[in-house]
Amino acid sequence: MATITQILEEKALEVKNFEFTYAGADAPSIKKLDMPIAKNSITALIGPSGCGKTTLLRSFNRIHDLYPGNKYEGEILFKDRNILTPKEDLINLRIKIGMIFQKPTAFPMSIYDNVAYGMRLQGIKNKTELEGRVEKALTDAAIWKEVKDRLKHDANGLSGGQQQRLCIARAIAVEPEVLLFDEPTSALDPISTAGIEELVVELKEKVSIIIVTHNMQQAARVSDYTGFMYLGELIELGRTEEMFVTPREKLTEEYITGKFG
Amino acid sequence: MTHTEKRILTNKIVMTLSTLSAMVGMTFLFWILGILVINGIDALNWTIFSEAGAPPGYEESGLKHALIGQLMIVGVATFAGVPLGILAGTYLSEYGQQSKLAETIRDISDIMMSAPSIVIGAFVYAIVVAPMGHFSGWAGSVALTIIMLPIILRTTDDMLQLVPSTLREAAFALGAPKYKVIMQVVYRGAKVGILTGVLLGVARVAGETAPLLFTSFNDNFLNTDMNQPMASLTVTMFNYATSPYEDWQKLGWAAAFILSMFILGLNIIARVFLMKKKGK
Amino acid sequence: MNLILDKIFAHTTKFIALGVLLIVAWIFTELFQQSLVSIQSSGFDFVTQTKWAPNLEKFGALPAIYGSVVSTFLAMVLAVPVAIGVAIFLSELAPAKLKSPVGVSIELLAAIPSVIYGMWGLFYFVPIIRDIVGGVGISMLSAGIVLSIMILPFMAAVTRDAMNTTPDILKESAYALGGTKWDVIKDVVMPYAKAGIIGSFILALGRAIGETMAVTFVMGNVHKISLDLTQPATSIPVTLANEFNEADTGIYYSSLFELSLLLLVISFTIISIAKFYFLRRKRLGA
Repeated sequence: MATITQILEEKALEVKNFEFTYAGADAPSIKKLDMPIAKNSITALIGPSGCGKTTLLRSFNRIHDLYPGNKYEGEILFKDRNILTPKEDLINLRIKIGMIFQKPTAFPMSIYDNVAYGMRLQGIKNKTELEGRVEKALTDAAIWKEVKDRLKHDANGLSGGQQQRLCIARAIAVEPEVLLFDEPTSALDPISTAGIEELVVELKEKVSIIIVTHNMQQAARVSDYTGFMYLGELIELGRTEEMFVTPREKLTEEYITGKFG
Repeated sequence: MTHTEKRILTNKIVMTLSTLSAMVGMTFLFWILGILVINGIDALNWTIFSEAGAPPGYEESGLKHALIGQLMIVGVATFAGVPLGILAGTYLSEYGQQSKLAETIRDISDIMMSAPSIVIGAFVYAIVVAPMGHFSGWAGSVALTIIMLPIILRTTDDMLQLVPSTLREAAFALGAPKYKVIMQVVYRGAKVGILTGVLLGVARVAGETAPLLFTSFNDNFLNTDMNQPMASLTVTMFNYATSPYEDWQKLGWAAAFILSMFILGLNIIARVFLMKKKGK
Repeated sequence: MNLILDKIFAHTTKFIALGVLLIVAWIFTELFQQSLVSIQSSGFDFVTQTKWAPNLEKFGALPAIYGSVVSTFLAMVLAVPVAIGVAIFLSELAPAKLKSPVGVSIELLAAIPSVIYGMWGLFYFVPIIRDIVGGVGISMLSAGIVLSIMILPFMAAVTRDAMNTTPDILKESAYALGGTKWDVIKDVVMPYAKAGIIGSFILALGRAIGETMAVTFVMGNVHKISLDLTQPATSIPVTLANEFNEADTGIYYSSLFELSLLLLVISFTIISIAKFYFLRRKRLGA
């Protein structure tokens, strides 16, 4: 059984007895996992490659459903509702739970259209409203100053770090309640990484954040809670400052001290 | 209806339409394939291989003349086109590389691969048939060689470029001269790829009809003299199918079936090679 | 010794590679020379006159040009939406079990010689057209439809390939914003694959306009411009296939060569546009 610290805040999400099996796989990649996610905090998921942290993250917005044959069991509660049922409205779920990927994923359109994309999908056509919200999202993503004079330019002309902040702007423009970050800085240089980390910390005022990272220092720097996963199980979930100083599980300690990875 | 509901509905409509169009497209394509197989198998029998053409109404008529003519015309074209194509492709990959000349040859070859083949027929008519004063198997082979050349050239070029440069460097480091490096190391590394290109090139020209219409022309009887007009499966198919005689039409389907199976066979073998290559 | 052989090998390959360029140049000049008689005698009338009557030595190629343009246009109008539908089906909709067999059979169908599409058209499709729209069935309409079916496998396969180049992660990001499949296809996949898709459509157009055998069976070779698609018609390659071996006078031959040259220039231009504007070859390793 996992060692789980009591979450004091309200919960943004709650994983209960969750199992996930990839299409065609014999054994589940995530086994009987329980995990609360605190609201307006940053929860980091760490663990060696293949431990299931990205698989878990991709279950929260059910992006796994794009590929047929994947199987969920158990529950993930979002606003007291299990989102794993077949009749879940995935479109609205994904509007509420946004995602940022390992690599910047600017769409082949202008900077402005990238940020406006999610809002347009929701049917917002009013130009003033769109312009206002695009500006706000870009400002919140700390990239407005850099791009305000070239909003109509192709987004692929931006640098990697700028593109990743653009993707964050695009995600927060639709005002999600939860943001999932899947190793958002793995393709970026150290300076861009620092910028993104700073931004993630600022964003938690408005959204609950789950971030998967390979980089333990990054988890230590940005997160409030850290979950350590190993072989598809949650080994330990605790307050970040406690877990990195006094891990309660031996495996956690070994991972954090670099005995394996 | 909310905007999202509208989007979901649009999605459903478009996805249904695309599934339908896929079904319509596949229906036509399998219809053609089905007709080919049914008519072909129906018309197949031993006389087709043992007897040459005959006037309509004759019992003993077959496609021997067209099969042999086809083999000779395509064989000669392969014999000429493959080495020429491989050598020219070698120049592009190993010597010309990204030079302006090499790039131009690549571009022109790419364009020629899609250029109308009947024009090649007209060209060969002007340079071979007219000066000789008569149609001939040779002329057909020349036309097919010209069509095959850019295909072999480009696949060879691509396949040689896939050979890792470390392999070349290792051979050079042993003091081997360039032509030996190419012939003994690079060709060996690209063997499967080049062979695939050759198979696809042969498959492509074997199905050509238009460039043979006024080069090798046709002959309803068995002829193995490349200097004379010569039957091919494709032109025979065309003549028989457009004739009013039912037994000729039937032979036309048999020719269509044999040719298609040959071409599909080559394509499938080429695919298997490529898959094995990727699997490595 | 090695040095000499090395030089010989290098020069031989270069000589043959240059030979490819020379052949292409030769094709153009030869066709031009052969066309000279016709060019000198009819000039621009060749492409503006509608009367093609070899026995009267009148050679107006407009009906053939018109037929080439209309039958190809018809084929594209029919094939483009179906090809896109098939490509969407293959890349985004089909269950894994269907994807590869259907995909492979489409690619194999693209390898079937066009003469077989023509034969099928003549024996099986023309009668249906005859029953539905009347007339003899041999017509511009039949030619356009048979041509569209012939280019469909090629177009569907390359469209699918172009769509498949869209990185999964890009598609996932659009889904992650609440997009439907169609939203993702039209807003992300299509724009991403745009150049490849348009390029291969233009390439298909360039091939279709020079296609001979698929249409020769079903078009009729009638040199008449008619707005009625159910009427027999002709195209440049159809005229060539039917008349080259019948030509009996120098000017008749020369006119046919001019038609060949015209066809070569048209398709060369179209294919070049596809290649240079849309399908720039990616340098290996770059």
